[in-house]
Amino acid sequence: MAIETGLIAIGSGLAIGLSAIAAAIAEKEIGTAAVGAMAEKEELFGKGLILTVIPETIVIFGLVVAILILNLAK
Amino acid sequence: MLKPQEMSSVIITGSKAMQEAVIRELHSMKIIHIVEHSKSGLADIGVPLENAAKLSEILVRIRALSAALGIKGDKTMLEAKSIPEIDSTAKKIAEELGIYTDELKKIDEFLSKSQASRRELEILKGISIPLESFASYRALAYFTGYIKSREIGSLKKELQKTTQKFMLFESADGGKAFIALFIDAKNKEDANGTLQKLNFSSVSFSSIQGQKGTAAKNLEKLEQESTRLLKRKGEIRKKIEKLAKEHRAFLAASDEFLGEQLEKAEAPLKFASTPSSFLIKGWIPSNDINKSIDRLNKAAKNRIFVHFEPAKKHDKVPVKLKNPAYAKPFEFFLDLYSIPSYREIDPTFFIFLTFPIFFGIMLGDMGYGVVSLAAFLLLRRKMPSTKNFFNILILASLVTVLFGLFFGEFFGYEFMHPVISREHEMFKLLYFSIAIGAIHVNIGLVLGFINELRSHGFMHAIYAKGSWIVLELGIALLALAYFRIILISPFIGAAFLGLSILMLLKGEGVKGLIELPSILTNIMSYARLMAIGLSSVILAVIVNEQAGEFFHKGGFFVLIGIIILVTGHAINIMLGLLGGFLHSLRLHYVEFFSKFFHGGAKKYLPFGSKE
Repeated sequence: MAIETGLIAIGSGLAIGLSAIAAAIAEKEIGTAAVGAMAEKEELFGKGLILTVIPETIVIFGLVVAILILNLAK
Repeated sequence: MLKPQEMSSVIITGSKAMQEAVIRELHSMKIIHIVEHSKSGLADIGVPLENAAKLSEILVRIRALSAALGIKGDKTMLEAKSIPEIDSTAKKIAEELGIYTDELKKIDEFLSKSQASRRELEILKGISIPLESFASYRALAYFTGYIKSREIGSLKKELQKTTQKFMLFESADGGKAFIALFIDAKNKEDANGTLQKLNFSSVSFSSIQGQKGTAAKNLEKLEQESTRLLKRKGEIRKKIEKLAKEHRAFLAASDEFLGEQLEKAEAPLKFASTPSSFLIKGWIPSNDINKSIDRLNKAAKNRIFVHFEPAKKHDKVPVKLKNPAYAKPFEFFLDLYSIPSYREIDPTFFIFLTFPIFFGIMLGDMGYGVVSLAAFLLLRRKMPSTKNFFNILILASLVTVLFGLFFGEFFGYEFMHPVISREHEMFKLLYFSIAIGAIHVNIGLVLGFINELRSHGFMHAIYAKGSWIVLELGIALLALAYFRIILISPFIGAAFLGLSILMLLKGEGVKGLIELPSILTNIMSYARLMAIGLSSVILAVIVNEQAGEFFHKGGFFVLIGIIILVTGHAINIMLGLLGGFLHSLRLHYVEFFSKFFHGGAKKYLPFGSKE
């Protein structure tokens, strides 16, 4: 395997991995707050869910970019 | 569909004499959503009916009994008796239960006390002197406690140096020995000094005061008593269980009946009231209004006054969603989030259209669809109370099977030539997903346009929502010009872009400008339709490959292959269901709803209905 292919794979891995970490950090904070709010008022489940999943878009973008990078290897 | 049930505001007023009849009729009609009156200079809130205090007292007793007997949430067919009968039966049950619980309490007290004396008796067991010896004396002192076994000889020797008047009892306990030393009171100080030198640790006995005879005998007696009481405790528990079984139906029925009566008795707290009259404000669905008023007038012998009118523009109308039976289960998602206000579009029908599609694209495997369909059909039968939720998932599973055909997948295998292959044609699927996103977001914008049109007029709708569509047009034209797909000057696209920004600034202010990039991220967010699906496929393929390797080895390995296949796909289905559900929901809540939905209305909850 050429060294370029390896570098592309690493780059692609970083794109998805780092964005996943970012999403996880963001979701951690929101999730704890949302669960806390839900313990006080159960009706907040819907809103809590939405706020919690908002950062998920980050990792989706990460995946799209990772696939774009992987495509360079072809 | 799209619009909630039309409501009319109602005012019912009459003299206090008619109040109870009106309440009874309203409660049985289960049609009016009462608006609570807040105390004002004109009228106070009403006073509960006379029997409210008595009712709540009995209800509290019934609930306490239910809690003590471990009865909760029972549904019952038993008809409740009259209130005095409930009261007397409840008292009788409480009395019987009281006798049992008192005895239980006494037994528990004794048992916990006997723990301490048992511990002391265990220590004294090896010494054959009667317990009453450990009293207080004038001429005699005694020490009880532990020293090392091998020090006993030296202890005796030391003591004999000062006096012969002592008695030493001992019982070995491993390396330690328990000793009880009785000595002349005059030599107490000396003995104490000697003991200290030998690292004596003292033990005192407080729980066995007043007991007679040897420790061993007392211990035996205590054991016997404890086993007897434990047995008795079991008997009492059984009796309580029997009591619970006997009165389960009665308690559940009374709880329900009294709850209803109390709701009626306390209804005047929601009314406006003067010393001699009452006034009820509320909402009734417009379809039922004439029928309801007739019934009310009949019940009150035409001695009340009822006024009604259609909802006015700024009224806070309770919302009763109105959807055809097939879309009705999807109202669940609005209950979870927020009820749309009276004058905006009810998005239930759109969720019904798109939720199963998004779910289907993400799970998108015929095998998985069939498995989840079977699972949800089974669960729906098992849990009828959450029928709506499972109906949603059943529909979504059906669509999953269809998309399984579209993607040509069966448990990760491509069993036929697909329209789009999720595994091999990622980019095709990505464009497909984003196209769906663009359509969905624009439907949202159109709905938003209609909402604004209704509430703020045409110009505002153009500025606030039309601007986004112009913005998209601008971006599209720029992109087309950039890639030379159509040969136009990029300035045309830029002009559209500039125009949309100006419109947005007028429509939504600076806040709108900050939101500008959101339209792109919103549409891009639909890439998850591809992403979640892709991860699901890849996992399935990996499971198949792993299992395939074992199948090739043959023999015993086939079994391992089967296990991998089953657990792997089971986990993947679980992940796929969770991901498909949450992400589909999220696309609606975040990307779709943010374009038009305000919500925040109160749900229509008619007086007398159970939630």
